[in-house]
Amino acid sequence: MMKNSRQNASNRQENFGENSKKGQKEPEQVLGQNVPIGSADYLAPESLNKALEYRSRYGYKAVVIAGGTDIMVDYFEKLPEVTSWLDLTKISALKNIEITREEIIIGSLVTHLEIARNEELKKYLPLLAAASSEVGSWQIQSRGTIGGNIVTSSPAGDTLAPLLAYQARFVLASTEGEREVAAEEFFVGPKDNIMEPQELLTKIIIPHPPENTISRWWKVGKRKAMIISSLTMALLLEVNKNDRIQSARAAYGAVAPTPLRLESLEEYLTDKDLQEVELKKAGNLAEEAISPISDIRGTEEYRRQVTRDITIEALREMQQR
Amino acid sequence: MFGFGYGEGFPDHSIASLEPIDNDKILIRTSAADVGQGVKTVAVQIASEVLKLAPEHFVLSEGDTHITQNAGSTSATRQTYFTGHAVKEAAEDLLGNIYHYASQEFVTNHPEMGTKEGRVFSHVDPDQEMTIWQLRDKLADEGIELKGRGTFFPKTFKPDPETGQAEKVYVGYTFHSQVVEVAVDTITGEVTVEKAYSAVDIGQAINPQAVEGQIEGGTAQGLGMALMEEQIIEKGRTLNPDMSRYLVPTAVDTPEVETILIENEDNDGPFGAKGVGEPAMIATAPAIINAIHDAIGVRFYELPVTPEKIKEALANKEQ
Repeated sequence: MMKNSRQNASNRQENFGENSKKGQKEPEQVLGQNVPIGSADYLAPESLNKALEYRSRYGYKAVVIAGGTDIMVDYFEKLPEVTSWLDLTKISALKNIEITREEIIIGSLVTHLEIARNEELKKYLPLLAAASSEVGSWQIQSRGTIGGNIVTSSPAGDTLAPLLAYQARFVLASTEGEREVAAEEFFVGPKDNIMEPQELLTKIIIPHPPENTISRWWKVGKRKAMIISSLTMALLLEVNKNDRIQSARAAYGAVAPTPLRLESLEEYLTDKDLQEVELKKAGNLAEEAISPISDIRGTEEYRRQVTRDITIEALREMQQR
Repeated sequence: MFGFGYGEGFPDHSIASLEPIDNDKILIRTSAADVGQGVKTVAVQIASEVLKLAPEHFVLSEGDTHITQNAGSTSATRQTYFTGHAVKEAAEDLLGNIYHYASQEFVTNHPEMGTKEGRVFSHVDPDQEMTIWQLRDKLADEGIELKGRGTFFPKTFKPDPETGQAEKVYVGYTFHSQVVEVAVDTITGEVTVEKAYSAVDIGQAINPQAVEGQIEGGTAQGLGMALMEEQIIEKGRTLNPDMSRYLVPTAVDTPEVETILIENEDNDGPFGAKGVGEPAMIATAPAIINAIHDAIGVRFYELPVTPEKIKEALANKEQ
């Protein structure tokens, strides 16, 4: 059986026992404690270490909450099913944005609104700033966090395609230590990721994009706010002085079980003169590389047509810049 | 064009009453339900106009079968017309009673009196003056209750079952025409309504700002009907039974609406007023569909026109 670390409402708690199958100890035993877990604990530690201890002990038996903009929807009318809460909002260490020479480090509790309004992020990571400014509504942007958007792992999560395009790495911490995972390896299915029940996402690390980078963000939805995206696109090209594309990253959301990069399109674009890119060919490559479903946010046919057409339009804009 | 009131000969009516109570207030008793459209504001404004008394002096009862009588439903765009009329008549009845009893106190004739800001006075003898509430107390000592009562119960006409014709099928008609500007994104199929202009013949606006509010709300609802609102059913189950999936326009989807009020009093409503609730929305969806046709040359016959339908139509047009 595949490793099952799904985090959605239906199995967040039930899977608790299953995770011991890989030879892990039950989180309770990790700390060597036999104190019974309360039936309705509200845990709101101020330090990350304390949070990791709780995480290790409770695992999925405590639902992790930060902004709550996904969790409160997941558990709408089912709140009594939550046995315990692990509230991260008092951990100030997870709320920083740090910019070094090589990297931009964003704490997992940084809100969408903070990212959307941060002048440096707007300059260095315009795709992420723009995507954050289009999440839900001002109210949701004020509460919702980038970490929450990542661990919810919806294929339609607005910040996810930009994070893939920027080759972000996620820092997953537990009492055992930290590990860094590439964004591309993190998502494994709809609302499914590789996180273990004792881990917390603490930081998002993004290498500075090269200076000669051009990019285009696109969110398509059925209304202008409070809408789950029908599809998203984060297209990023590194173009040298002679207009040659040195590298290309094309990331899309809501067109497959996970947000994904389209390797065939990236390969086609890489090492090509930007002006010689055949738009129709690029559009067709994008359309062929996705595997969308039909749902109430868009039919498969619509998602294919629009993936093709926004790819063509974005590249046309880049050629004419 | 929208015919308001229940229509079809239904015996529709509204009853209201007014009475001076303590603390310089006048109680308006009506069971008309205010669901946000502003019938309570309208009732106060009408009573205020008739009695030449500032709106702060009026309080309203809640709809309650112990203390109020029938005002009919808040539906069919009928409350301003029916309850507005009933309150106007009740206020006129109260004013008549004030004149009647005050003339007995002053020992004067009706034309030689006046009322203003809650005072009733004699033109002949300036010393003869009292407030409505002093008059009320004086009458109470004599066992007389000072109040006014009004019923609006217009004659209605049953339509001919074969032709649907009647002398007057509805009590009145509101006319509304709207122009909208839309932008169709041919890449994503998204439609943006950028601006709307409304001209609405409402006879007389009792409260122009409230009328504009109704037009704006109606435009938002019409926009939802044209572009978003859709109950999606699969095998008998509704797939979008909540407001996150059954989409209505948000504030940022809704255009600025420029409203032109046409007040020609062609109607027997209170001060010539007509209803405006439902007529506010009926023009918007047809206007948007016509504007989409103007923009991309495709005519749609099924609502809502979603981005998928736009893309499909554009793809078919190309072939």
